[in-house]
Amino acid sequence: MAQRRGSVLAVMPLLVLTLFLVGCPKRPATPVAAAPAPTGSALAPAPGAAPSPGAPAAPGSGPSALAPAAPAPAAAATPGAPPRPSEFSENANLKDVFFDFDRYDIRAGDAKILDGNAAWLKSNADNLVLIEGHCDERGTNEYNLALGERRAKATMNYLVSQGIQANRITIISYGKERPVCSEKSESCWQKNRRAHSLVKAR
Amino acid sequence: MSASRRLAVLAAVLLVVGASLVVLPPARPARSQAPDVLLNVLAGGAKKLNLFMPDFTVVGGPDPTGLSRSLAEVTAGDLKFSALFSVVGGQPPLPAANPEALKKAWTDAAAAGAHAALHGLLTPRADRLEGELRLYDLTSPELRLIATKKIAVVPTETRRLAHKMADEVVLQFTGEAGVADTKIAYVAPRNGTKEIGVMDYDGAGAVPLTANQSINLSPRWSPDARSLAFTSYMRGYPYLYRLFAFERRPVQLLAGFLGINSSPAWSPDGKQVALTLSKDGNPEIYILTLATGAFRRLTTHPGIDTEPTWSPAGRELAFVSDRAGPAQVYVMDVEGTNVRRVTQSGFNTQPRWSPKGDSIAYTSRQGTHDIWIVAPDGSNVRRLTTGPGDNESASWAPNGRHLAFQSTRQRGPRIFTMLPDGSEQQPVPNGPTEAASPAWSPRLP
Repeated sequence: MAQRRGSVLAVMPLLVLTLFLVGCPKRPATPVAAAPAPTGSALAPAPGAAPSPGAPAAPGSGPSALAPAAPAPAAAATPGAPPRPSEFSENANLKDVFFDFDRYDIRAGDAKILDGNAAWLKSNADNLVLIEGHCDERGTNEYNLALGERRAKATMNYLVSQGIQANRITIISYGKERPVCSEKSESCWQKNRRAHSLVKAR
Repeated sequence: MSASRRLAVLAAVLLVVGASLVVLPPARPARSQAPDVLLNVLAGGAKKLNLFMPDFTVVGGPDPTGLSRSLAEVTAGDLKFSALFSVVGGQPPLPAANPEALKKAWTDAAAAGAHAALHGLLTPRADRLEGELRLYDLTSPELRLIATKKIAVVPTETRRLAHKMADEVVLQFTGEAGVADTKIAYVAPRNGTKEIGVMDYDGAGAVPLTANQSINLSPRWSPDARSLAFTSYMRGYPYLYRLFAFERRPVQLLAGFLGINSSPAWSPDGKQVALTLSKDGNPEIYILTLATGAFRRLTTHPGIDTEPTWSPAGRELAFVSDRAGPAQVYVMDVEGTNVRRVTQSGFNTQPRWSPKGDSIAYTSRQGTHDIWIVAPDGSNVRRLTTGPGDNESASWAPNGRHLAFQSTRQRGPRIFTMLPDGSEQQPVPNGPTEAASPAWSPRLP
């Protein structure tokens, strides 16, 4: 009986805890850091990005009230907005470069490949280039989105250092969302850790 | 009912439960009568209240669709899921107004070891379904009625009535409502694309929220549970959008800068969204104020800074950075100052601050991925999952008593749930066969 009572008493902290677990520790206010203003070539948020405070909450939110999301309004033509990725196409003269696990620095051997890409771009100055950054399946979606961005950016920076104008280059990260190889092996993962280039006539 | 009175009820019930167990009848004879109840108590693991709930009583009309049984099963499932109750149900409905029959049913249930009874009554109307719950303390000598509550829903949302009943029962016993009347948004692969869908927290009623045939990632509910921020390639590049889950309103563009626009996290007051932008050269964390459209940059490190998550008080953000090598979880004040490291070893991403503020769930990669939990000051590190497969992308239930996560333990990714101590890991029962990146909604309006 004592054991029984003890186990029942164990319920009390369990339930009572749920009543008293409250917020994180308070910290003294700290000075506000100066935040740099957003710069340059950005699409402004669409009008109506602010919530409409007067809008009543939907009375019913069950499945019946669910509607497929309406398509987004067409993006306004924004000066400096990059061409859509679908406007770029494959070009056999531009080679992929590959990256070590969780790294985004250009390897020495891959620098030579990018030298070749740069040479082609110099002699085909009417072409714009889109650099895709990709990751292997390890790691989580959002971190890999950032990692793929860094890989595309590192590739872009190398091309710029070789004299390619930055305004000819657009980058996009696909994170781990578009693997070329789907096996769980290092040789497959290495194929996915890549920066891939596409071109579009100006 | 006031919080103090609920607390009093809770304490009274628990104390009486503790006392009543001493005088429980001998185990074996009663066990055959209600095995679930006594199994729980006699196994020495009486961490749950034993709740007796017969099928709901339909008042004032026929029950052509069998709501008496089907809704009682939904409520019973919710209460079992809460991990607070051991439920015995499935008995025929009790008469609505027959005190003697009720008293006999409660007396028998108490003798079988039940601590409480739930009597649900349903009244179908032309334009709505009305429900009433009556909660009894079977440990009191007079089988006291301790709470009543009336709930109405539109006829198309009968399951919500069952969920709301369960949430009310949890409220009565813990002082905080349950989370049965919530939804889980998720990312589902579809023909090479990834679309966002939403289902009830128990997997019922799954419907798509996007159908743009691109890659859609990272759904995150606004605190009012009406909208979701998410990253989509619908216009080619990864921009951040907001969709309204239950209203016919167009998708809004929240951030469409050059580079990535990702990892949304709503401030607790819903007025701001923290996010990751790489427009200034590398992935940095910013805060978007929705009313003005202004972006404020918080991090200024040359490496990767991403995946912000707010403390529930709105004063701090946890985030991921590779500034010291492999990705780790850090915490900073909302001004971007006072950065301190939370995780120390391994490769750690996907921080998700708990609703109570006392812990941060995250994903640690050690070969495969598993979900861990840590106090915001870096202490009390605990591992919640241990494979098999990859277990990642935790999302807290709004009361902090459950986590949803994605797991590949059964091949393709599926949504699972567990308690914050790693126990009771189970797949969401009826959900899509392949789904990832769960986002547990706040309580629905």
